[in-house]
Amino acid sequence: MASLQRSIPLKEIQKILSADVILDEGWLRGEIKTVYCSDLMSDILSFGDSSSLLITGLINPQTIRTAEMVDIAAICFVHGKIPHQDTIEMAKKNEIVLLSTKYSMYEACGRLYCARMSKSIDLP
Amino acid sequence: MKLSEIVEKLRLGVRTGTGKLDREVNRGYASDLMSDVIAHSMKNDIWVTLQVHLNIVAVASMKELSCIVLINGKEPEKETREKAEAEGIPILVSDLPAFELIGRLYQLGISGKRHGSEESA
Amino acid sequence: MRRLTEIHKVQELVFRLKTSDAKASEVVILSPNTMMSEVRSILRKNKIAAAPIVAEQKVLGIISVNDYLNWLTAGREDCCVEKCMSVNVKFLYDDEPLTDAIKCFDRYGFYEFPIINRKTGNFAGIITRRDIIMGLLRALEIDYHEMEISSYSGHTFFQDMAADHTELMLSFSVAGKNIQHGGDVASKLKKNLHHLGLHPDIIRKTAIATYEAEMNLIIYGGGGTVEVFMDADVIHIEVKDKGPGIPDIQKVLQPGYSTAPDWVRELGFGAGMGFTNIQNCSNTLDIISKVGKGTTVKIRIGLDPGKSIK
Repeated sequence: MASLQRSIPLKEIQKILSADVILDEGWLRGEIKTVYCSDLMSDILSFGDSSSLLITGLINPQTIRTAEMVDIAAICFVHGKIPHQDTIEMAKKNEIVLLSTKYSMYEACGRLYCARMSKSIDLP
Repeated sequence: MKLSEIVEKLRLGVRTGTGKLDREVNRGYASDLMSDVIAHSMKNDIWVTLQVHLNIVAVASMKELSCIVLINGKEPEKETREKAEAEGIPILVSDLPAFELIGRLYQLGISGKRHGSEESA
Repeated sequence: MRRLTEIHKVQELVFRLKTSDAKASEVVILSPNTMMSEVRSILRKNKIAAAPIVAEQKVLGIISVNDYLNWLTAGREDCCVEKCMSVNVKFLYDDEPLTDAIKCFDRYGFYEFPIINRKTGNFAGIITRRDIIMGLLRALEIDYHEMEISSYSGHTFFQDMAADHTELMLSFSVAGKNIQHGGDVASKLKKNLHHLGLHPDIIRKTAIATYEAEMNLIIYGGGGTVEVFMDADVIHIEVKDKGPGIPDIQKVLQPGYSTAPDWVRELGFGAGMGFTNIQNCSNTLDIISKVGKGTTVKIRIGLDPGKSIK
């Protein structure tokens, strides 16, 4: 995990990761301050905060439960993975944003890392 | 870029494979799920993970990955170290969290591009 | 009382924001040489009603849909925007409060205002009515979690009860190997604690500890029960199974020690950090186990971080 040097709007993250929005277009208003990438529940449980994004390859229902326990705002699945409908319903009840990127975790994190290092759109 | 350069630039600890750091690497992969690593990693990838059990050596060997980098200050289990040494697989360690380490590797030019499964830049 | 606090918080937020907090993230500007004939398509493509003309970081003027229409209907020949722009541009400084921006929109009825950096006099962005709304929404999103904590009333269900002593007991049964439902109990408990008005940090710790214990129950214990006893001072969680038992309790408490089979690891568990996470979230953790009989895990979490619990 790492704190971003600047908060990045969720909409911008979706663009950087070329991610499909599983849930929900209307929920992409927030900003993300911290990014975690992990496929290990206990690792995620020991961090987690409400302006955070989790990047993971795990699409089982426990990913949603884990995110719920630590108030993670959004999850982005890698390798274009999409969870089962039951898992999506669980995320819907808890209003957790679900995205899916075709990139690998490495590539997704690399891109976000570079985005955080650049300043927000500079005006001339 | 040589593994030894990466070790130096990112101040990684070397737990096994000290003699194997001469290899050239230019791609990275990150996952803690063996099934994903088997399905998507490519030969010579640097593998970033926080799994420390014996299976990581078997998978790294099977997929001919260049090395394993453990994050968050994780240390390999004793059996894992012994097997990695026997198989000639470097295990490197970092105190950094995964996102930070991946980001720095990425900025050094170690990309994550997979052939065919992602858009090219 | 809580509702009123929330309303004041929102008002406070509005007064705290500056124009630079709400300014548009994407800006369309024109160079002085842009031709009037291009203006229509530029405004239309970007769905805007006006654009500032900027050169060497200074705002020279502004051109709007109205200016374009005036030029068109006057039948004038094509020229650069510098000749047709409005030069008396009303602008805002980047450090002015957002409330000033709102007043300007009211007073002048313009579509947008350029923002100028007070120190350098350079162009620093634009702000429209929509940007004000979006800026407020964004600020509210970020502050929501902080609001949750500060709107916490400090009065739990227990303190509101008129009795010498109040206790609550919740019990749940958990089926073994039913991984699909792993975490259901922790989730229900979390929502219940929220209804009871507990501090968000206590809710989070309890949820995490219960979740880890529940997953252990499912994966290793063959299922069992989770019982939660609460009073005004402490939450006491007992997780019981009649599973194989733990031969060496000290070993399982070591971070990283795990006997997890591969299928468990592929679900994101089995890293041996479960008990460590529980310990980090609780005041006390006790494990009683007998091989062949079963295991009881007792977790206690104090509701007041400043007080030690009996």
